Amino acid sequence: MIRFIIPLIAVVLFFLEPVFSLFSPVTIADSQYTLVPRFVIVYLIFIAVYYSRQRAIIYGIVLGLLYDMYHIDIIGVYTFLYPVICYLATLMIRQVHRHIFTVMFLSLIMIALLEILSYFFASLIALTAIGFEEFLVSRLSPTMIANSIFVSMFGYFFKQLIDKRGLEKTGL
Amino acid sequence: MPRFFSNKRLILLLVGVIVLVALISFTLKDRQNATLPEQIVKDVVGFGQSLFSKPAHFLTGTLDKIDGILNTYEENKHLKARLKEYASTQAELADLRADNEKLRQIIGKEESLRDYSPIHATVISRNPDQWEEKIIIDKGEVEGVKLNMAVMTSSGLIGKVVLVTPFRSTVELLSTENRNFRVAVVIPGKESIFGLIEGYDRTRGELIMKRIDSDFDVKEGQLVQSSGLGGIFPKGLVIGEVTEVSTDDFGLTKLAYIRPAADFGMLDHVMVAKRSSVIVSGTDGEVAEEEEGEDGS
Repeated sequence: MIRFIIPLIAVVLFFLEPVFSLFSPVTIADSQYTLVPRFVIVYLIFIAVYYSRQRAIIYGIVLGLLYDMYHIDIIGVYTFLYPVICYLATLMIRQVHRHIFTVMFLSLIMIALLEILSYFFASLIALTAIGFEEFLVSRLSPTMIANSIFVSMFGYFFKQLIDKRGLEKTGL
Repeated sequence: MPRFFSNKRLILLLVGVIVLVALISFTLKDRQNATLPEQIVKDVVGFGQSLFSKPAHFLTGTLDKIDGILNTYEENKHLKARLKEYASTQAELADLRADNEKLRQIIGKEESLRDYSPIHATVISRNPDQWEEKIIIDKGEVEGVKLNMAVMTSSGLIGKVVLVTPFRSTVELLSTENRNFRVAVVIPGKESIFGLIEGYDRTRGELIMKRIDSDFDVKEGQLVQSSGLGGIFPKGLVIGEVTEVSTDDFGLTKLAYIRPAADFGMLDHVMVAKRSSVIVSGTDGEVAEEEEGEDGS
C-alpha cells in the first residue's frame, strides 16, 4: 500500500506548488517579496536520504521533466537540477549523523542551492535582470522562511512514512 | 576522500548533460509554439492541476467572503455615497452609447477597435519558480483562445496569451521583465496622450509608460487605457493610474509610472478578450516595422 503512497505524495506536492505560488508575490511595506514553493525537492531529499538514492533520482528526472514542460517551457533545467540536488544531498548526509534535524537543515541548504543555481540560469538566458543582492533580499530569504515552515511541519511526517516503506521492503 | 564517480557513471553523466544542453537550446529557440508531446503533457498535467486549483480557489473565495462580510458596514456607507453619482453616470453612458452607435451607422463603420468578445477562464496555476510572470488558464484553442489575445480581470488588463495548447493556455503578465512585452496605451482627455508600456519596476510595483511626447502635460492621477492601436489589444481596457511623471534617460520624451489597476497577486478568474477587428501578429509597437519589412520583400 505504502509502495504507491510514496510516488503519489510526490505528485500531490508537484500539483500543490503552483497553487501556493498563486499567493506570491507578497507585498510588505511597499516592497515585494517572492516566495517560491520548493516542496517537491524537499520530499525528494527525504527519499534520497532515508530510502533510496536511485529512486529519488528517477523521481527527480520525471518530475523535473514535467515541471519543465508544463511551467518553464525550456526542457532540461529542472530535469537536470532535481537529480543533481538529490545526488549532492546523499553525498553530504554521509558525512553527518542522519538525525531528523540534520536532514531538515540539509534540505534547507539544498533549497538555497537550488534557488541560487536557478538564479544563475535565469540570468544567463536573460529571464531576469535583478542583481544578486536584490535576489538575496527579495527572493532567497523569503523563500527560505516559507520553505522552512513547510519543512518543519512535514519533515517528521515524511520521515515516518518513508521509514515505514523501508521496513515493509526489508520485511518482505 | 571518497571517489565521486566511477568511470561508467561519469560517461552517463556527460551524455546526460550533453542531451540536456541540446534540449535547452532547442526549446529556448521557439517558445511561442509547443510541439505535440509538449502539448499533450501540458493538457494532461493541466487537467490534474485543475483538480487541485479549483478547491483552492473555493477555499480562498470563502475566506474572502468572510472578510467581505466583516467589512460590510463600512463599505455599504461608502457605496451609498457613491450610488447617486453612479446612476447619473450610467444614464449618461447609455445615452452616449446610443449616440455613438447612431453616428457609427451614419458613417457606415461597424467594426470598432473597442469591440471584443470575452472568454471566461479560471487560473489554474502560476509558474512556481517565478522568474517569468506566467499563469496558466483552463481555456485553450478549443474554446477559441489564440496567441496574443489580451487577458484581463474585472479591474483591468493583466497580460496576454503567449502559448496555446488545445485545452490550456499560458498567459504572460504585464509585470514581466520581458522587454519585448509592450502595450500601446493612451491617456484619454481633450488631447489623447499616446505612449507605450515598456517594462515594470519591481521595487515600486509599478508599470513604466515610455515615449510620451514631451509637449503633453501628463498629470498624476490620470487614467491610462489600452489604445488598441498596437493591433493586438482591444481599445479601452483599463491599465492603471499615473503616479509619477519624469523625463526619460535621453530627456527627449516623458516617462510615467503607472500603478496597475489589476492586482497581479491573487488571480483566480480572468477574461480573455477576443478582439473583433483584425488582429495582427507580433508585439505592440513592433508590428508596423515587421509588416513594412514583409511588404518590401
